[in-house]
Amino acid sequence: MIKVAVSGINAVDNPGPGLGIIKGLREGSTPVSVVGLAYDAMEPGVYLTDLIERVYLMPYPSEGEAPFLNRLLYIKEKEGLEVVIPALDPELPLFIDLEPRLSELGVRSFLPTRKHFKLRAKDRLPVIAEATGLKTPATFAVSSYEELQRALSRLRFPVMVKGLFYRAFRAYNSTEALQYFQSISAEWGYPVIIQEIVEGEEMNVVGVGDGEGGHFGLLAIKKLWITSLGKIWTGVTVKHPGLLEAAEKFVRHFRWRGAFELETIVSGEDIYLIEINPRFPAWIYFAVGVGLNLPERLLRAALGEEPERDWEYPAGKLYIRFTDDLVTDLDLFQRMVTRGER
Amino acid sequence: MKLRRLAINEEGFIFDPETGNSYTVNETGLFILEKLRQGLSPEEIARLLSQEYDISPEEARRDLEDFLEVLVRYGLWKEPK
Repeated sequence: MIKVAVSGINAVDNPGPGLGIIKGLREGSTPVSVVGLAYDAMEPGVYLTDLIERVYLMPYPSEGEAPFLNRLLYIKEKEGLEVVIPALDPELPLFIDLEPRLSELGVRSFLPTRKHFKLRAKDRLPVIAEATGLKTPATFAVSSYEELQRALSRLRFPVMVKGLFYRAFRAYNSTEALQYFQSISAEWGYPVIIQEIVEGEEMNVVGVGDGEGGHFGLLAIKKLWITSLGKIWTGVTVKHPGLLEAAEKFVRHFRWRGAFELETIVSGEDIYLIEINPRFPAWIYFAVGVGLNLPERLLRAALGEEPERDWEYPAGKLYIRFTDDLVTDLDLFQRMVTRGER
Repeated sequence: MKLRRLAINEEGFIFDPETGNSYTVNETGLFILEKLRQGLSPEEIARLLSQEYDISPEEARRDLEDFLEVLVRYGLWKEPK
């Protein structure tokens, strides 16, 4: 029985990938006991006792490395933790920095490098695009009102106004663009990204790189229905040769290690790279459902084993997300609030 | 040719495995798609349509052209040069 910690158990309207990862691990051939890492006592995963045996509240990554490491060491001591699969962007830099120390202490992971993690900045997209043969929408990183105006004069409305890592708005005129520029810079700082809007099919690829240029499987999907937050609600598997080839080039060129998601827009023969995520997406259970148990393969890689590499999957498999209800006692919430664990 | 990769079932549901798009066609649409996949030219298909549905060759050609236009618009078929 492998004791594995998974974060991102916030299965809310903008869900974390945790529950999908855990469902994959539970369906795999390696027996696991799951510890959930939560940042709030109200995260739904806290209450899903059939899926997650134990849950611990974590300090916010912004509090720094020491409290974060201490908490992980406490969990290691109490639970005999062997593997951790972090699933949220803000905690990844800490886990990446702590990986050698945690590994020495017997808590293993299979993460991208610092260098990989930095590639997710939207002003780095052209670097990835060039290496993979993908295109990028015309993109300007702007840090002042003058630069914003210059960028807008070179694009046609509507345009996307994005934070370097988070937030994205569609602006239909310069007043709106300025408003979003101000709100994004106030929240996330500079630069703000001004980007051409590309029309086409939104397709994503998930995979796990082996760190040596190969991978433990890829899956391409198209989002069929999204929520008002832009999150997938239904999707379908696709076999787009150009897209899958680009994903393989991406893994090979950057010798990607660990989970990743490439977000693209396919417009005729052209494939535009929109975003790269250095972790599993929230829809990762889709891969498990079509026979590619990427969470389990990542777990096995973390354990130093050689996971399967076959990745044959059928096109035309459908993914449906749905809401669910649960009624429980106040007891669990109480324990999370008073003890920070359950 | 793009038509060859489409998954077409006998009820007229069509799935494009490359783009994830799906379409539905009626019996006539299905008839035309099958003939196109067999490599028949529009002229041959119009003749078969006219025989199969007992309509004039002109009407068959007109209906076929309308249908092919839709296929072109969806990027599913290109007129052979």
